[in-house]
Formats: sequence, structure tokens, C-alpha cells
Amino acid sequence: MNEQLVKDEVYKAVLRAATSVSDDVKGLVHEALEKETNMTAKTMLSSMVENLEIAGNKGKGICQSPGYPTSWISFGDGNLPEKINEVVGAALGEATKKGYLRPSIVDPLTRINSGDNSGEGVPNIEYEYNPGQEYVDFYISFKGCGAELGNAMKIMTVPMIKLDQDFAGLKRFVLETAINAGGKPCPPFAIGIGIGGQMDVCSKLSRKAVSTRKWDDVNPDPTLARIEKELKDEINSFGLGAAGCGGDTVCYGVKIAKCATHTAIAPVAINFHCWVARRAGVRIYNDGRVEKLL
Amino acid sequence: MKTVKLNTPIKESDVRDLHVGDVVYITGHIYTSRDMAHKKYKEMLERGEALPKDFNGYTVYHAGPVCLKNAEGGWDLQLIGPTTSIRMEPYADMVGEMGVKFVIGKGGMDKGTLDACAKYGYAYLQAAPGCAAKGAECVKKVVDVHYLEMGMPEALWDLEVVEFGPLVVGMDTHGESVYANLKKAAFEKLDRDYPL
Repeated sequence: MNEQLVKDEVYKAVLRAATSVSDDVKGLVHEALEKETNMTAKTMLSSMVENLEIAGNKGKGICQSPGYPTSWISFGDGNLPEKINEVVGAALGEATKKGYLRPSIVDPLTRINSGDNSGEGVPNIEYEYNPGQEYVDFYISFKGCGAELGNAMKIMTVPMIKLDQDFAGLKRFVLETAINAGGKPCPPFAIGIGIGGQMDVCSKLSRKAVSTRKWDDVNPDPTLARIEKELKDEINSFGLGAAGCGGDTVCYGVKIAKCATHTAIAPVAINFHCWVARRAGVRIYNDGRVEKLL
Repeated sequence: MKTVKLNTPIKESDVRDLHVGDVVYITGHIYTSRDMAHKKYKEMLERGEALPKDFNGYTVYHAGPVCLKNAEGGWDLQLIGPTTSIRMEPYADMVGEMGVKFVIGKGGMDKGTLDACAKYGYAYLQAAPGCAAKGAECVKKVVDVHYLEMGMPEALWDLEVVEFGPLVVGMDTHGESVYANLKKAAFEKLDRDYPL
């Protein structure tokens, strides 16, 4: 086991996510600006491009809000270093001290700020054990909370999703949620959709999908790929635009993840990610090879 | 659609000249205030206490910066960008009564604010979301900070800015809200294409 290598790579990935937008989204921002026809949206997209340049050139953070950090760690037999959570926590502390991340984690009731982005349950880490997996995968996403304000989750039913009309009910739920979210999630946003499980499982699927998939990828499941594209195009057709003040691109991508559910229910969770896709992913093989995933 | 450069204190007539889509740059002082500061102002005003700043002619920026303490004991601002404004909707009349001329944020606000914009003569300006490194470039100085005990994001920061922008008028004093207009049109399309 490469205990130190895994820890080093995890630490580096957290710092990388805190200070940069994933490569897929950099491309999407430039593409959106090039094809935008609305003046206000052009102004907003130009600011976004300029902001990425300034942050890159000056070694600064991109957004003042650190959002809420969630990590995903998948591992195999005996290859997960002990106390890996402390490595993530230490990297967050370092990024906070350097001024990349604003201290923003508070007690949910007293609202007292810990001052260093630590707190009960933070950083949130989702562990996944896959027997026989010859590598450790680590992802982290700092997801802003304006995006959270747009989120929705519903335990739908078979009549509600309109199974017999190509899921028109499910699609409407996504579309009306996107319209109501408007400019709140810092568009152009991406949307993760969880379908299945129960409330907890479904919501986690939605967060993981939008946080770990490339926003310009294509779902390997042809039905999901079709629905993802259809929803993205429909959402953009409303003309909400970057920043939600009008324009051609409000949505960079829709990412659906599903899992089995109970025959009585059709849970759907809708999870926005702001355009500031501070995400990183890395795979560390047991033999020492390291691969950038995101 | 016009572009205007304004200095604080801002005149009500300048605000009433603006229409949705116009672009504004502000030079002077900007006061950040989020959920906790608004709550605090409300309690203080109810008790008849003076606020730490005279907001008349100034702007409230829905934002919480990243600031680092410098060697002289002052603050160096690293990053600043807008937070989601709708959370401050319950204070639409209060900021109007305070004499605020611009509320700056992101995502727009609701009917209460739109009515207050017309009544008191203030406008809602949309800042570019997630553009905090660029936002920091316009901030020349952190003048002072109040209520730091509420946490860095929630404190009231007095910032000296030069040509802070571009800010787009999202809601004006003439009853126009770009957000409400877009939402109405989007729901009309949705109801046609995906009827309930």
C-alpha cells in the first residue's frame, strides 16, 4: 500500500479543487461566451472568463464562497490509508489559512462560525468499498450554496412521473425546478439528478453525479443520455441565461444517476452545481501510478 | 441600454433614470450585509439605535469577502463576489427606509423588493456570480469592519471601491424585473410543452 502517496495526492487534489475550475468546465465557459447572443449574458460570461484568468495569474481563489466540501473515496482491500479524513481536513485548513476558502462553516442552530471551516460532520466524506479494487479514487467538490437554494427532492409515484408519456411528469419537475432556481445557483449551472432509492440514497446520487462526472460527457446508458440532452436543451430554451438575467446558456449539462427503488415509489432529487466547478478527482493505483480523473 | 458610472453618495434621480439591462459601475463606499447583518439592523432600528453606517445614498452588497489580517493589523481583501439575494427579501422595506440606493447581489429578488424599489427609489443590481478574484480587483481598501463576531461572511465590511462592476440593473424603479419577466415567459412555455 502507498499510504503516503495516497495521502499526498489527496492533499494536492483538495488544494487544486480549492483554486481551480475543472478543465471540462473551463472549456464550456469559453464555448458559451463565443456563441452567446444576449448582451447581458455576454457581460456576465466575459466577467467569468476574466475572473478565471485573474485567479490563475494571481494564484487566488475563484469564488469568495467555499461552498460545502464533500469528498468521495472508493477503495479496495487494504489500500485505504488510516485517518484519510484528517488529510482532507488538514488540506481544507491550509486552503482556508491561505485565503482560498472563506471560513464559512457554522453550527446549524446557533450559527456560530468555527473560523476555520471545520465542524461536526465536515469535511463530509462518502466512503465506498469495492472488493478487489486495485486503486483508490478520490473526488472532492466545493459546491456553493446558492445552488443548494435551488435544489428540490420529491418522492414521486408512477402516475406522477407519467411513465406512459416518456416521463413527462418527471421532466416537468426538473424543468420547473430549474425555472424557479433561475439565477440563484450561479448559472450557467449543471444539474445532477438522482432517480431511485429512497430520499437519502436518491439525494446522494444527485450530488455525486453533478460533482464527479465531466459536464461534457455522455451517459453510457442510452436512455439516460437521451433524457439528459433533452432536459439540457429544454432548460436552455427558456432563455434564462448566464446569471439568470437572460441569454442562451443557463445549463451546461444534466447528469443523471439511477439505482433500484421500491415498487411503490419513484424518488427524484435535483441538485444544482454553480458554474464555479471547483472539483478535482484523482486515481492512485496500488502499483504507484497516479491518474487525474477530474 | 446604457452604461453609467456613479459615485457614492448616489442621488435618487440617478437611480430613477435607470432601466433593466443598464450597466452600472460604482466608485466610493460599498457596505456588505447578509442575513445576520440585516437581522441585526432590524433589531437595532426597532430599538431606536443608530446603525454603524449612514446608508442613505449608499449601497448594500449581499456579499461576504475573504479577508486576511495583514502585518499592520488591518485587512487585505482577497476575494469578493455576490451571494444569493432572495434570502434578504424580508427586509425590502427596511433597506428602502434606510435610504439605500442600490442593493447588489445575484439571482434577483421578489415582489416585495420590486414594490420597494419604486416606492423608495432604489434599484437591484446583478453582479457577475462567482467572479470574486475579479471583484477584489475593484476594492482599493477595507475601511473597517463591524460585527466580526458574527463570522467573516456575515460581518458588515465597509469597502472603498473604484469602478466596481459591471453591474446589470435587474430590477428598476419602474416596476420592471428581468427575473420576473423571464420566469413568466418560461412558465408559459413550460405549461404549453409539459402541461400539468
